Amino acid sequence: MATITQSSKLGNVLWPALAWMVALIFFFPIFWLVFTSFKTDADAVKPEFLFSFTPTLENYANMTENYDYWRFAINSVITSSFATLFALAVGVPAAYAMAFDPSRHTKDILMWMLSTKMLPAAAVLYPMTFLTKNFLGIFDTHFLVILVLCLINLPIVIWMLFTYFKEIPKEIIEAGKMDGVSLWGEIKDILIPLAWGGIASTALLTFIFCWNEAYWTVRLTTVDAATLSKLIEGNRAPEGLFFGRLSAVSTAAVAPIIILGWFCQKQLVQGLTFGAVK
Amino acid sequence: MVDASRLDHRRAPKPVFVKLQHRKVTRAMSNRTLPRILQTPSVLLLLIWMLVPLSMTLYFSFIRYVLNSTIRPEWTTPSLSNWRGFGNYQYVLNAKDFWFAIQNSVFIVSSVLVLTVILGLGIAVLVNRSFPGRGIVRVLLISPFFVMPAVNAVLWINMILDPVLGLNGLAVSGINSIVEGLRDFPVLGGFFSMWPELEPISFRATQTSAYAVIMMVSWQWTPFAVLIFMTSLQSEDESQKEAATLDGASPWSQFINLTVPHLARPIAIVVMIQSIFHLSLYAEIEIVSRGNGNKNLPYLIGEFTSNNIGAASATGIFAVILANIIAIFLLRMVGKSLMD
Repeated sequence: MATITQSSKLGNVLWPALAWMVALIFFFPIFWLVFTSFKTDADAVKPEFLFSFTPTLENYANMTENYDYWRFAINSVITSSFATLFALAVGVPAAYAMAFDPSRHTKDILMWMLSTKMLPAAAVLYPMTFLTKNFLGIFDTHFLVILVLCLINLPIVIWMLFTYFKEIPKEIIEAGKMDGVSLWGEIKDILIPLAWGGIASTALLTFIFCWNEAYWTVRLTTVDAATLSKLIEGNRAPEGLFFGRLSAVSTAAVAPIIILGWFCQKQLVQGLTFGAVK
Repeated sequence: MVDASRLDHRRAPKPVFVKLQHRKVTRAMSNRTLPRILQTPSVLLLLIWMLVPLSMTLYFSFIRYVLNSTIRPEWTTPSLSNWRGFGNYQYVLNAKDFWFAIQNSVFIVSSVLVLTVILGLGIAVLVNRSFPGRGIVRVLLISPFFVMPAVNAVLWINMILDPVLGLNGLAVSGINSIVEGLRDFPVLGGFFSMWPELEPISFRATQTSAYAVIMMVSWQWTPFAVLIFMTSLQSEDESQKEAATLDGASPWSQFINLTVPHLARPIAIVVMIQSIFHLSLYAEIEIVSRGNGNKNLPYLIGEFTSNNIGAASATGIFAVILANIIAIFLLRMVGKSLMD
């Protein structure tokens, strides 16, 4: 008996300490990125200034000058928000119909939608470039980036919404239907208020995926519609000359999303596992 | 017809407590069109998105098609007269790069899987108890997952793994200078002077840059595994564990016999979802590799695309086949649980 209490007392200190240590190790690279962003480029590569240095905001102040940060950031905001909005506009009615009016084929349609997500993007790289450049003339436009981001996230949007809508009792929707509420009224006055939390977290997660997307946003843009992924990828600075300013611009690129992400940890599980893990 | 029956259905309100089954039947017969109309835009969009580019890839994979050729200018426009049959596939299968890329893809994906599942399990169990600051620990742990891949790669390869300027180089030179200092010690100095000067590992060679990719991707995706395992652990049957404790089962045997079986499904899901994401890994390889030979299938397709579209398309079709094999398993597994 004594050994058990002893070991659990020790465990009460040891396990949390270990958990904290692991968490700090995992967070360290992000910390290091933010930390380095306050050093000048010269200080960032000198061992003697590893931990003690005079912090400076110069890198952030010169972000526009060095990298034209805001142009890329605004592109990211525009494309991610509109892609999210469009995906919801198309996805909400579809998920609504699938959740409350399932037919024999609903399951197959959902599965097929998911399977489109699994197509390797690289396989259609050239056709997409060819189509958008030579044929449609929409290469490197916001419209194209919004369209592609919307399409690659649509399956996840529909799946997530579907799993949320399924939890709403059918009777409520039915009752509205019987009171003669129109379809639009049904969606606007009954479904959206009831599923508000689910729709909001779907939107948040979609926004994060759009923001971090790094294949199409890099391959289908050159200048006009280039997003933050493209900016960072274009400035990988292997010679270490610009660690300070590169850290600043990277921090500015990831910080909003990390903070958004903290708010939707729970939804992330449902969104990425399509409701299969609860 | 349909409209009339729907109106009729609406005009005669039934009490809310009508049996569910009855209502289902009425609705199914009365307005099948409406749900179809609501689903049409998304189905249509995805259908176009999937079919148009993919059929073009399929077409290009059967013709001779290059972007620049001074000797055979007729090959620079896609046309059926340049038909090559399975020639592109043969060419790709005989290319050394192709097999290396497949091998490397599989190596990277499976290493990441092993690392993330093991670390994820350990950390999830570690965090799945109440202790001071648990909320903060969770927030710190999940953060890497939201870092955009380009930043992840730039951060790791430059600021952490660089053999000279990164923490890797700094740490090694730090250790070297400590050892150097110890050599002057009276007695132990002799022992330390036998130590060799340490060389930092460079992560820019073909093989080591694959390790760098594995490291950064595992760092990013372990939080994902942790999150899913943690969610699943919360639904574990506590009374079963208590009974096991009373029976004198050790924590380790509880973990192996109760927790791991409970987590079997989440583990499978983590493995499958990650395989799909990591098979199309691109930004990390692109940033870390810079033509040093470390490539995977998407990267190889990118290389072919700069000139040989036929070969790029054939490689693309192989990538689709590979992804489909994995997707089938995933859909089977995830699909079952979703509809109940």
